[in-house]
Amino acid sequence: MIGLRGIRKTYGRTTALDGLELDVREGEFFCLLGPSGAGKTTTLKTVAGLEQPDSGTVELDGKDMRGVEPYDRGVAMCFESYALYPHRSAYDNLASPLRSPRHRLPAAEARDRIGAIAELLGISGLLDRPVGQLSNGQRQRVALGRVLVRPARAFLLDEPLSHLDAKLRQQMRAELKAIGAVQHTTTLYVTHDSVEALALGDRIGVIRNGRIVQTGTREEIWYRPYDTEVARAFGRPRINLLPGTVTEDGGFRSADGKVELPVRAQARAGTDVLVGVRPRDLSLTGPGHELTGTVYVTEVLGRSVEVTVRLGEQQVSLVAARADTTGLRPDDPVRLAVRPENLLLFEADGPQGPGRLIGTR
Amino acid sequence: MGWRLTLRPYILIVPALLLTCGILYPFGLGLYYTLFDFSASKPQPDMVRFENYRTVFTQDAFWNSAWVTVLYAVGAAVVETVLGVAVALLLHRSSFVGRVLEKILILPLMIAPVIAAIMWKLMLQPSVGVVNHLLKPFGLGGVQWTDTPAGALLSSIAVDVWVYTPFVAILALAGLRSLPTSPFEAAAVDGAGWWYTFRRLTLPMLWPYVLVAVIFRFMDSLKVFDIIYALTEGGPGDSTVVLQIRAYLEAIRFQRYSFGISYTIVLWAVVYLAAMVLVRHLGKIQRKAAEAK
Amino acid sequence: MTVRKRLLGWLADLALILYFLFALFPIAWMVILSLKPANELFSTYFSFTPTLDGYRTVLGDSEGIPFVRFFVNSLVVSVGAVVLSLVVGLPAAYASARWRFKGSENLMFTLLSFRFAPELTVIIPLFVLYQKLGLFDTYVGMIWVLQLVTLPLIVWIMRSYFADLTPELEQAALLDGYTRKQAFFKVALPLVKPGIAAVSLLAFIFAWNNFVFPLILTSNEAQTVTVGALSFLGGDRPKYNLTAAAALVSVVPPLLLALTIQRYLVRGLSFGAVKS
Repeated sequence: MIGLRGIRKTYGRTTALDGLELDVREGEFFCLLGPSGAGKTTTLKTVAGLEQPDSGTVELDGKDMRGVEPYDRGVAMCFESYALYPHRSAYDNLASPLRSPRHRLPAAEARDRIGAIAELLGISGLLDRPVGQLSNGQRQRVALGRVLVRPARAFLLDEPLSHLDAKLRQQMRAELKAIGAVQHTTTLYVTHDSVEALALGDRIGVIRNGRIVQTGTREEIWYRPYDTEVARAFGRPRINLLPGTVTEDGGFRSADGKVELPVRAQARAGTDVLVGVRPRDLSLTGPGHELTGTVYVTEVLGRSVEVTVRLGEQQVSLVAARADTTGLRPDDPVRLAVRPENLLLFEADGPQGPGRLIGTR
Repeated sequence: MGWRLTLRPYILIVPALLLTCGILYPFGLGLYYTLFDFSASKPQPDMVRFENYRTVFTQDAFWNSAWVTVLYAVGAAVVETVLGVAVALLLHRSSFVGRVLEKILILPLMIAPVIAAIMWKLMLQPSVGVVNHLLKPFGLGGVQWTDTPAGALLSSIAVDVWVYTPFVAILALAGLRSLPTSPFEAAAVDGAGWWYTFRRLTLPMLWPYVLVAVIFRFMDSLKVFDIIYALTEGGPGDSTVVLQIRAYLEAIRFQRYSFGISYTIVLWAVVYLAAMVLVRHLGKIQRKAAEAK
Repeated sequence: MTVRKRLLGWLADLALILYFLFALFPIAWMVILSLKPANELFSTYFSFTPTLDGYRTVLGDSEGIPFVRFFVNSLVVSVGAVVLSLVVGLPAAYASARWRFKGSENLMFTLLSFRFAPELTVIIPLFVLYQKLGLFDTYVGMIWVLQLVTLPLIVWIMRSYFADLTPELEQAALLDGYTRKQAFFKVALPLVKPGIAAVSLLAFIFAWNNFVFPLILTSNEAQTVTVGALSFLGGDRPKYNLTAAAALVSVVPPLLLALTIQRYLVRGLSFGAVKS
């Protein structure tokens, strides 16, 4: 397993990692999600020993890795840029770890192992080709193969699928988790794609500005996001956030006074808050607390439709089945329903940061 | 084991550092010598502090040399720049002739300047040199190229130009080839004439590249030695005694070691100053060019 | 194409040809001179009976001038200087490209300032020093002093080649299980091979063409071909044909190399200039 404690790393004036704490359990597939510049790659490189933290400790299997060189740490990394050795064949790239002093295997055994991995990844026919002649998807699989071909304590995968087109990405996603080696090895997978994180991660960590904002299972992240930004990071269309205040009886009143919601806030009356409700939790037909508004615009998303509805001064979007939305025109009055348990309450966003989740009774 | 990681870069540069210090030592020694009156007639010199420098600056010979050096450097740099850019522009057209000739552009640059000076010396020989022979039909066959002060300086500059114009041309050509095409296409669509395009577009965008070449050439020609030594040895009289030739004469011919080195130190200071000024100017131009992009 | 444009095109080509006539004529003339028999030196210009006597004399070490030895000296000293600079300079260039540390910028700047200094500044102290150390007129002495010319070039250019490499390739090698030294030799070095070739050839040419250092710091044993070519001009009957032959022979190695590395030379010529 991997443990990072209080990692701080600066490059000149920019702080890449600011007191990062992370624990990846043995054998788990952990997804680290964050926008570019959040510190994801730096985190991976710190675990691998390619970057030295200014302070903090890196532990692998409980052992402090200070002073341990990358080639002694027993981790394998798949770089976002693939970092394949140019002018060499796919076979040579896959064989490279098995020719190094650390993982050296006799040629015959190496050939068998490489053959098996190539078979697994579907690149058996490409082994003799120089990597310059491979397509993006093929290169990505060679890079992955180079990681899988040798035993490792942990796999570090840096956005391995981000340069693939959408269809290939989905296919590879499924294949990736099915690989046996991946299932048995601690894997730290970095991505900026929230859908990918939710699909792949046993646990997910959200990283922002060099710190981990929240770690948890997909349920925890989805139903109990740490703050509005984590809530906004997951789900498409984005979660609706309505500004307002807490009422005397712990309810919610929107800023313009037009919308009231029964949230049962654990907060003082008068606190500025944001209510979050996911588009799929708003329905046109179901039971729940009712609201009325007018249609603003509708957008067809394949089998479902995204409807943007005006509620007083603000707008919310919801996703509904196409059947339920036939005949809806802009400015039509419409009735929405939401179940109170699907409502999330946050502090208002402020200069100190995004609003954090407030408990509801 | 962590300490080994931080030590590694230092281990790698130790040999280079040692070598550099080894080279710096004679420099320091030279500087040190200038504070004495070390010469062949005074192998046990006394410390004279800055006497040498005072003498240098009050000597007519110094100012003459300084003047000749500046004339040479400016003359060579200007001609090389103009000619080099012109050649680059002509080659940029990528005509058949241009593409063939481009392959041999670099030839003069690869010939040792001293050898080039020898070649030109042979060619400029008044009675048997081929230059005068070729000029005879034009009535100019009797020019004493290296025997008159003006002629000697001009001939020296000509050799410098012959050797180093390809340097400017190559850099300018590379610059021309890396210029963005869109401004030129826009100008063509707008119907701009060649001269207008050249003055307003080509020249300003090309200038940063050319300036680099000019700075290098200027600094190097301030230090010229090979060419003058082989062509005129400083003559006739004192007309081509540039600063480094003067230093050579003082130190090696007249064996006034300390005095000779003082000349070189002064020259070094001049080149250094010129470099600082020009590089700052270059920086300004590069910034302007980057903003214009 | 309009007539006017075509005419201008021809004029441009003509101008180019004129320039190249200027650039190539001296070389052609030298060839002619070198092939002239001694007795026709002053009597004719372009019509003559070609002979290889000039070359035979020069290469036969006659006239009391051991030209072949000069040539060999130049070879030894130039190759030696480049090899030493590579061995010393490549690690330094790599270190200063990969790691930012206190010494690196100072070293870089010191090396660059060698370019500003007139050679004679260091020659006189070296003259005295070499006499004392017995390095005067020796291969070692010349190879050492030529570092002034070759080392800055190699370190500056190779540094920018190494800096252009993405560190991730070497990092991948590290994670594959190779030590940093192995990663350097297996990954970094092969990728900068063209740079090394170009810069070595460039450094060789500069070392070969150097004049001032051998002029003063060598005498008979280690004198190089650039100084040696001048010796045919001495005396009351300057032997132009021999000088021409000697000059042409001495020009052959750098010329051959220059033609070989044509394309890489642009980068070499602008070394560090734009970046510093």
